[in-house]
Amino acid sequence: MPIVLKGRPIMGGRTRGRALVSKDPLSFLGGVDPETGRIIEKNHDLNGEKVGGAILCFPHGHGSTVGSYVLYSLVRRGIGPKAIVNEKADPVVVVGAVIADVPMVDGVDISKIRTGDLIEVNGDEGMVIILEERSSCT
Amino acid sequence: MYLSREEERVLNGEEGWAYQVAMRILVKLGDLFEADKLIPIESAHISGVSYKTIGDASIDFLEALGDSGAKVKVRSTMNPAGIDYNHPEEMIRVPEVMEKQDRIINIYGNMGIETVLTCTPYYINKPKENTHLAWAESSTVVYANSILHSWTNREGGPSALAAALIGKTPNYGVHKPENRLANVLVKVEPRLKSEAEHGALGAHVGKLLKDEIPCFSGLTHTRETELKHLGSAMASTGMTSIFYPDTSCPRISGELEVVSVDVNDLKNAFDSLSTTNESPDMVYIGCPHCSAEEVKRVALKIEGRRVRRDVKLWICTSRYVRKKAERYVGIIEAAGGKVLSDTCAVVTWLKEIGIDVLMTNSAKTAYYAPTMNRVETVFSSLDRCIEEACE
Repeated sequence: MPIVLKGRPIMGGRTRGRALVSKDPLSFLGGVDPETGRIIEKNHDLNGEKVGGAILCFPHGHGSTVGSYVLYSLVRRGIGPKAIVNEKADPVVVVGAVIADVPMVDGVDISKIRTGDLIEVNGDEGMVIILEERSSCT
Repeated sequence: MYLSREEERVLNGEEGWAYQVAMRILVKLGDLFEADKLIPIESAHISGVSYKTIGDASIDFLEALGDSGAKVKVRSTMNPAGIDYNHPEEMIRVPEVMEKQDRIINIYGNMGIETVLTCTPYYINKPKENTHLAWAESSTVVYANSILHSWTNREGGPSALAAALIGKTPNYGVHKPENRLANVLVKVEPRLKSEAEHGALGAHVGKLLKDEIPCFSGLTHTRETELKHLGSAMASTGMTSIFYPDTSCPRISGELEVVSVDVNDLKNAFDSLSTTNESPDMVYIGCPHCSAEEVKRVALKIEGRRVRRDVKLWICTSRYVRKKAERYVGIIEAAGGKVLSDTCAVVTWLKEIGIDVLMTNSAKTAYYAPTMNRVETVFSSLDRCIEEACE
């Protein structure tokens, strides 16, 4: 049975992909390399990981509002996340998801999701569905 | 959030992609902060102008907006850029950087945003009291709310731009009178003398209060310049968007939580804004951009003296104030100082022009420069800054 996590719809659209999950807040400006999509924020638990093609799950954003533009640029260059799942949406990430047109849901307990899980994000309904847990596919 | 039929039309894309995306930003932020509706704004001030701070990523989005015909609906101004094109000898000289900075200014200019690049647009055009604005740039926001008594949330670059394109902003935060009430009393024990001491106080208080709304008691020297430095420092280390310089203000209750600041707190805050005691290779006045009064103050202190050969003295202001204070600009430049406009030390490339130690009377600059410009800082009063800069 897939696990359904209810949240709040922020930005519409449906997509599925592998989850990339962090416990740390993320600043897109200075925290993600705009050329490669690699997370470069110091002491971040995803440091070195690439956000491209992943469903990026993290508590919330922090830092400069220029971060919204970085998210747009990553997506436009094809190295951005497919969708975003937050615990508590903040203005920088929300504006980034809006201008980049990336599905986004918040109000989700992201500790239920593990990196590598195959998940579906439904930005219209505000839902995250865990379709396949990492352990069962390895 | 309630939307009128016209607003719905824009949201559905009937006015094109640029306005749709702008409306979407406002609607999503409005929902996030539980705004009830959009309200008209008198003006917008846009941050995210210097190529140094916004980089290539932003150009992609701004260019797409411009290409789809975005034009602002209200009077709009923008923050300083990374280059003063009238003083190329003082600036970084990398053609690619100069070209990209120029492109950013043009994109904004083509949207109808005035190409007066300053963080003090209020010296050029003062908004009326009790009018709603959508201003970005934290020092500008705190000045508008606290000194001009106009009303603006602490916008970011994208949300201020969206508000400029729509001519409206979501009604939440300090747009509502009940969210403008002082909720903490800051008792200042030492008698503050300089603008730098007001800045140090602001840096200390901002860190403690985060987004609370302070009113102050004990400020005896509340001229406009000192309040500007107090507010901009508070907004740098904290999330303040409004403060009251005295206790005659609307409060959340009769008895407020009290925070006391004693002589030692102030001294520690002041000292912690310096990272070195080495001699500076640049002395910088003008964060936030100088008023005509501040330019005059510098001129009167420096008249008849000579700036040391091994030190650059930068005074940054808006083009408008530079023109207005032309006589004093002449005095400063005769002494060997430079009065720059359209830029400031924090948003330009300092390391690249050979600066390692920056001395300033601005607590905001002293707070940001070590990370944003990778320079050491010496924080001091205007008097000491001019002393250090001169032979």
